[in-house]
Parts: sequence; C-alpha cells; structure tokens
Amino acid sequence: MILFPILAIPLAAGALSFAARKRPAMEMINVVAFAALFLFAVALAAQVLRAGTISMWNDALYADSLSALVILLTAFVALLCSIYAVGYFRDDERNQAFEEDVLGSVTVAKLRKYYTLTPLFVFAMLLVALANNLGVMWVAIEATTLTTVFLITLYGRATSLEAAWKYAMIGGVGLSLALFGTILTYYSAHLVVGAETLAGLNWSVLVKNAPQFDKTTMKFAFILILLGYGTKAGIAPMHTWKPDAYSEAPVPAAAMLSSATLNCALYGMIRFYILASRCLDADYPGRLLLLFGTLSIGISVPFVLVQRNFRRLLAYHTIDHAGIMVTALGVGGPLGTLGLMLHMTFHTVAKSLLFLCAGSVYQHFKTDLFRKIKGGVIRLMPLAGTVFLMATLAIIGTPPFSLFQSEFLILRAAFAARHYVPAVLFVLFGTGIFAGALLHVSGLVLGQGDAGPVAPWHPWRDMAVLLSASILLILGFWLPGPLFELIRNAAQIVSGQ
Amino acid sequence: MYFFEDPQFGNRMITLMAAFVLVLQIAMVCQKYLVTNIRVFAVQSFLLAGIANTIAYFNHAPHLYIAAILTFALKTVALPVVLERLVKRIDIAQEIAPLVNVPLSVLISGGLTTVGYVVAESFRRTGESASPASLGQNTLAVAVSLFLIGFYMMITRRKAIMQVLALLSLENGLFLAAISLTYGMPLIVELGILFDLLVAVMVLGILVYRIQETFDSMDVSKLSRLRG
Repeated sequence: MILFPILAIPLAAGALSFAARKRPAMEMINVVAFAALFLFAVALAAQVLRAGTISMWNDALYADSLSALVILLTAFVALLCSIYAVGYFRDDERNQAFEEDVLGSVTVAKLRKYYTLTPLFVFAMLLVALANNLGVMWVAIEATTLTTVFLITLYGRATSLEAAWKYAMIGGVGLSLALFGTILTYYSAHLVVGAETLAGLNWSVLVKNAPQFDKTTMKFAFILILLGYGTKAGIAPMHTWKPDAYSEAPVPAAAMLSSATLNCALYGMIRFYILASRCLDADYPGRLLLLFGTLSIGISVPFVLVQRNFRRLLAYHTIDHAGIMVTALGVGGPLGTLGLMLHMTFHTVAKSLLFLCAGSVYQHFKTDLFRKIKGGVIRLMPLAGTVFLMATLAIIGTPPFSLFQSEFLILRAAFAARHYVPAVLFVLFGTGIFAGALLHVSGLVLGQGDAGPVAPWHPWRDMAVLLSASILLILGFWLPGPLFELIRNAAQIVSGQ
Repeated sequence: MYFFEDPQFGNRMITLMAAFVLVLQIAMVCQKYLVTNIRVFAVQSFLLAGIANTIAYFNHAPHLYIAAILTFALKTVALPVVLERLVKRIDIAQEIAPLVNVPLSVLISGGLTTVGYVVAESFRRTGESASPASLGQNTLAVAVSLFLIGFYMMITRRKAIMQVLALLSLENGLFLAAISLTYGMPLIVELGILFDLLVAVMVLGILVYRIQETFDSMDVSKLSRLRG
C-alpha cells in the first residue's frame, strides 16, 4: 500500500502547483509534498528491509532493496532542492534574472512552470524505480527527459535553447536505442515466459527465467541498452549534452539531473545487467561496461583540467563519476557491486550539494566563470565557500569523506577481479581529475579576489546547504546501520551472491 | 479455403507493405520539400498500422488492433497535422538543403538496407516455425533498415523540424520491429510509448518554434555557442 502515496504525492503536488495563483503557495506545496515524500521513502526502505520485496496491483509496481535505495536518494535530493529552490528563485526575482520581467506576471508564469514540472519530473524518476515492467520503466525514463526540457529553457536564453535542443535530441536517439534493446529482450524472453501477457516484460518474472533466454538476442539487446541508457546517464562518447544542460538549467534542477536522474539511468542499466549476467554470464556485459566506464573517466580528464566555467566543471565531474559507477558495475562481484551502491549513495549527496554551492556562488557574483570571480569566495561567502571546498574534497575522494571509501572499494574489487588495465587507468585518470578539480576550486575559494560586500544570510538556500553538508560530513564517519543494510541488500540483488 | 483465411496470403501482404514502408523511407531521404516529407511520413505510418492490423487478423493477436488504431490516429493523423501547422506558422523556406547530396544519400540508404538484412539474418532461429519471427525475416530487416536510415537522416539534416521527423521515422522502425518479432509489446507499454511520442512531438515542436524565433533560422548547425 505504501507504493501508492509515493507516486501520488508528486503528481498531486504538480497539479496543485499548476492551479496555484501565488508564488508562496507554489513554494509551500513543493516543500511540503517533498517532505512528505521523503518520509514515505524512509518508510518504504524500512518495509523493504523487513519484507524483502513489496508489490502492488498484480505486480505492476514492485520494490526491492535496489529500488528502495534509488527512491530514498531521489526523495532526499528532491526535498533538498525544493528547500533550496525557494531561496534561489526569490533571489532570481530580486535580481530580475528572468528576461521578460516587465509585468511581474511573467515571473509567476515561469515559477509555475518550474514548480509544476519539478514534481512531475520527480514522479517520473520514482516510476522508473517502481515499475516492474521494463517497457513502463522505459516510458518513465523518457518522461524524465520530456519533463526537464522546459526546465532547461526556463531562463529563455539563446544558449539554454541550444542546450535543451541537444538534450532532447541526443536523449531521444539514445532512448530509442534503449527501446530497441527492450524489444529485443522481450523477444529473447517471450518463448520462455510467454508473450502477449502483461507479465511478459515484468522484471520479477524475467529474472527467474533469465538463464533460458535466447543468448544471441540478449547479447545484442544488452549493447543497445548500454548505449541507450548510457546516453541518458551521460557516459562517453554520448555525454556531449551534459555540460550544456547542467550549466543552463536552473541550479536546483541541475542538482537533481546530475544526481537523481543519473541514478535512474544507471538503475535501468543495472536491471538489464542483472538479466544479461544471469543469461550469458557476468563476463560479457562486464567487459562492455568496463570499456565505456573507463572511456568516460578518461574523457572527462582534459575537460576538467582546462575548464573555465565552474558549473561545466561539475558537469564533467559527473561524467567522470558516471564512468566510475559503470566501471564498478563492470567489475561486478559482491565487492564491486557493494562499491557501486555505496558510491551511488555518497555521490548523490555530494554532487547535489556541490551544485547548490555553485548556485549560491553564481547568484552572488552573477557569473560562473573562474576568470571573472578570480577568487576569495570564502571571504565574501563564508558558508558557501567553505562547503564548496569541503564538498569538492569529498567528491574527488580525499579521506575522511565517504567517497574515498567507495572508490577505494571499487579499486580493490577491480584488482581482486584481475582487471588490471581498467584499475590502473582508473588511478591514473583519477589523479588527473583530483588535480584539476582541486586546483580550480581551491583557487576559486581561497585565492586572492576583489573586495566586496559579504553575502547576507539567505535562510532557505543556506539551510539546504547546511543540512546537506552535515549529512555529507556525518556519512564520512558513520553510515547508519539500516542504510548500510539496504545498500548491502541492493548490492546482493545485482551480484546475485 | 478463402484467400483471406490463408496465413500464407497474410505473410505476403505483410511483406508487400513492409517493402512499401522501406521505399517510402528512402523517398523521404531524397525528398526536397518539407511538407511532402511530412506526408510521406503519414503514409508510412498508415502502412504500419495496416501491417499491425494484418498481423492481428492472421495471427489472432487482438490487442494489436488497438495498437493499430492508435498508430493510425496518432502517427497518420495527429502528428502530421501538428507538424504541418508548425511549418505554416513559422513560415520557413520549404527546401530542405541536406548536408549530403541526394544521389549519394540514396546510395548510402541502400547500403544501410544491406546492413539491416545482415543484422536481421543473425536473428533467424532454425526449427521454430511457430515463433512470430517466421512472419518473415524481411519485416525485421526492413525494421532495422528504417532505424538505420532514420539515424542517417538525423545526422545529415540541418533543419530542426527534419530532425524531429527523422526521429519519428526511426521510431516507426522500432514499432515495426516490435510487431514483427513479438506481435507487439504488451498493450500498456505500447500505450505508454505512443503517449511519450505525442508529448515528445509537442515539446520538440515548441522548442523548434522558439529556436526559429530566437535565431531567426531553423538551422541547427547555428546552435554552436556552448563549447568546451
């Protein structure tokens, strides 16, 4: 029964925001709805821990530890971003960031667009994790693209149109590949599980029968799925939309795209990886994943090193981390998948926080170019500057932060599984990213800059940043028992051991 | 036995229609005018709905009738109307001006069709006459070719609206693959895909309109300010 409110809350919030007249009403609807959603997500995680799996409506909706983890992370980011968005858009309104801001009503229209599309976007992401039917999951992933196109064009700049066009077209082609992969999976399975029934594409049915699937078709299907959902996850060489979309979207939307949506795309890939590894064996999908994962990590290195814009820097950083997670999936085994799940959790917290900090800095200085800010953010914006630096240290994998643990675990798993080449490249590229990101961000935060007024306390924005920063800090030292249990169960579902 | 009860006759009908679908796809590659292209797409979708209907009738797969009706309503009527209105509204020059000239494009499409046949060959299963795949290797090969040619059109067309059309014809290939391999996906999935398609065309249509307004052109090669 708990699955119903999880899907209903964001839908209702979207409808209410659409009907709302005033800005405060829309803000409240979003914050309250996502707070409630987060509570339900925690409750779902608790139930899944107790019961193993939960299903509803004849298995149309299905949740196991893997989906519960993805839902928990999505709900967390959605809540965080909805709190942040209140302050962010109020500041935007003060700065008259919206182009046609002459009548005042235009701003409300744009805010309505944001506050209506965001819950729908979150709904689509939750449906990705809850849909048992792989076709419905595809529909939901496509819906995450469609709901975010107009979030990217929210500011109506020429560059945001360009970013949205690339995002929609590359995403559209990628997802059509994924649909082809889904069709082929259905084909390879339909002689075993029986066609023409709704259950024929249900993951819970497919996974039981995976060893009997047609092997040639499954091989072909997995390549298409990897390319398709890989495009959505932004792994190289289909990553080109990512820096554009992340730097043009409003910051809270970019934060959700870079963490929660990435998880959803990977989730889709993981579900098919499980089928493929049961049907063929883990080696075939593993090799492909290692290839693309290492390529993504490698391709982001030069862009991080010479980056001039800090929001694009974060976007390339997300490509790097998508690569790390794909590599971890490719390594597989109990250790590799545990590393993957831990990394997914930690990356979601750290990356969304980084985008929020970058957004605060962007709004204060009205630019996202390193050259124009020069440095000294920590003196003008003590909170945002400190947290920005802290989160950067966390995400490039310095101890004591938790991403160090997960990356180290992945590396150990890679060595243990004798994937020496990817492991060595991982270290090599990782060093490059480490150097590039640290150089740029420490220069930005600590370097010598122009004097100016110190940023005042922005209640909504700074509260969200503080909340997320303390969670990131705590996760470095202490992972709550039930959460680790959930992560371990999710890893077990993937590795099958 | 009457001819309309003979599965062999059904197979031949399907192959014939699939052949026309492929011809129309190549016609789209060499067409010069935008509106004609949209109409070619409409006819192609009409034929697809026909194929779905024929499969539903001869192979007793009643849920395909619904998919066929929806395909007809959406892809043959609704989407072309929306696209044509968009073209009228933005009042653009009708010529498409592709990056690669027409004879070469047709040649490449021919090559891609060969690739489609080679790929489809690897799915041939021996000794399984009962499987829907026996509908004919031809249909799957056509589906893969549609997909590849759609891909090719997306790369070589500069006008935003042509890229949308290419994406749609690529999706037509997927629909054909789904109905020829497995009598179509489960109905709920088919509904979801069509709904997504409708929303996607709306979204892309608005985007095209705004690109035209902002850049005073639909040439997507002008969208090149974001780099690095």
